[in-house]
Amino acid sequence: MAKKGILFGIIVSIIAVGVILVYSTSSVETANTDVRLHGTISTTTGSPIIGSPSAPITIVEFGDYQCHQCYNWFHNTKPSIFQNYVDTGKVNLVFVDLAFLGRDSPKAAQASYCAEDQGKYWEYHNQLYISQESKIDNGWANSERLKSFAFSLGLDPELFDSCLDSGKYAKRVQSNIAEAKKFGVSGTPTFFIIGPNGQQEKLVGAQPYSVFTQVLDSMI
Amino acid sequence: MTHALKFVFSNYAYLVLASMLFITMLFGLLFLSEYIFLEPYLIGHIAPGMELGFTLIVILTTLSAVVIPMNIYRINILKKSKRKVTGSVFGSFVGSVAGVCSCGPIGFAVFSTFGSVGATGLAFLTNYELPIRVAAIALLVVTYFTTVKSLKIECKII
Repeated sequence: MAKKGILFGIIVSIIAVGVILVYSTSSVETANTDVRLHGTISTTTGSPIIGSPSAPITIVEFGDYQCHQCYNWFHNTKPSIFQNYVDTGKVNLVFVDLAFLGRDSPKAAQASYCAEDQGKYWEYHNQLYISQESKIDNGWANSERLKSFAFSLGLDPELFDSCLDSGKYAKRVQSNIAEAKKFGVSGTPTFFIIGPNGQQEKLVGAQPYSVFTQVLDSMI
Repeated sequence: MTHALKFVFSNYAYLVLASMLFITMLFGLLFLSEYIFLEPYLIGHIAPGMELGFTLIVILTTLSAVVIPMNIYRINILKKSKRKVTGSVFGSFVGSVAGVCSCGPIGFAVFSTFGSVGATGLAFLTNYELPIRVAAIALLVVTYFTTVKSLKIECKII
């Protein structure tokens, strides 16, 4: 009887160890498949990709929703890049937060990921840059306004509010800031343009369209 | 007024000092305020809506390049008080600091060093960039006129 008990115990232990091993291996595999790299930059915790995922060139933008130079780039340079490169399948873009300019910046970045939960990251991202006001932390990006932007985009208010209030994506935003620091980003906007052969060009500041054209054309 | 300017800048050393101040300040401020980019190649760009900021930088730099050498002249040649040069340097410094501490590397360095306190100060300097620059220009204008007046009296310029 005692021998049977020991044997049963051993079998249960082996099965338990096996289950743990299989579970941990699959977890590692899942984590590996979730890692998204552009060149040497991890954009895993950044925005979804906009543009063709198979585009040969990727622009990684490090930005802050309260940064007026990011606003300038968004309104003056980005439309031409989208028209000539993104919409034609040559380039795609990823946004990574470097939210440092004020107390509302991290919250605005978190809100964009709450919108992503409902499939409207880029709509929300655009809404933030359209709504940006010239003064930092003057209330244009406080929690109430962030919630009202979500409402105006037709997002489920209950889901969005609970996501934002819980700080669900606080760590994700911090992770993005850490990634920016790792690559020596020291201001916003900063762009890394990653070519088809892995070549990487860094552009600092809201540079004009002509500069982007020259870099992008040299990589195509 | 023009006599006082001629009087100071007829001395070649002060003309060189003024030129160096003008070039260094203008280039530095335009770079830090993202009107000039050095990489991947040198290019200047004034985005729509940033024209006023650009104009204020040019005015501030010009005034600094005129007023600071005039006050250094007063100290060196006439051995007069340092009060006015302090005012001119202070005006130049305040005007320079406003606006450059925004999204750029200086702003990020302030944030990295001082955390949320730094971010608050940063927000203030960015939000009030234009009024601060206008105030700095006003201070430099006042310093210029008082310097010219005192040079007229001290050097007996007619």
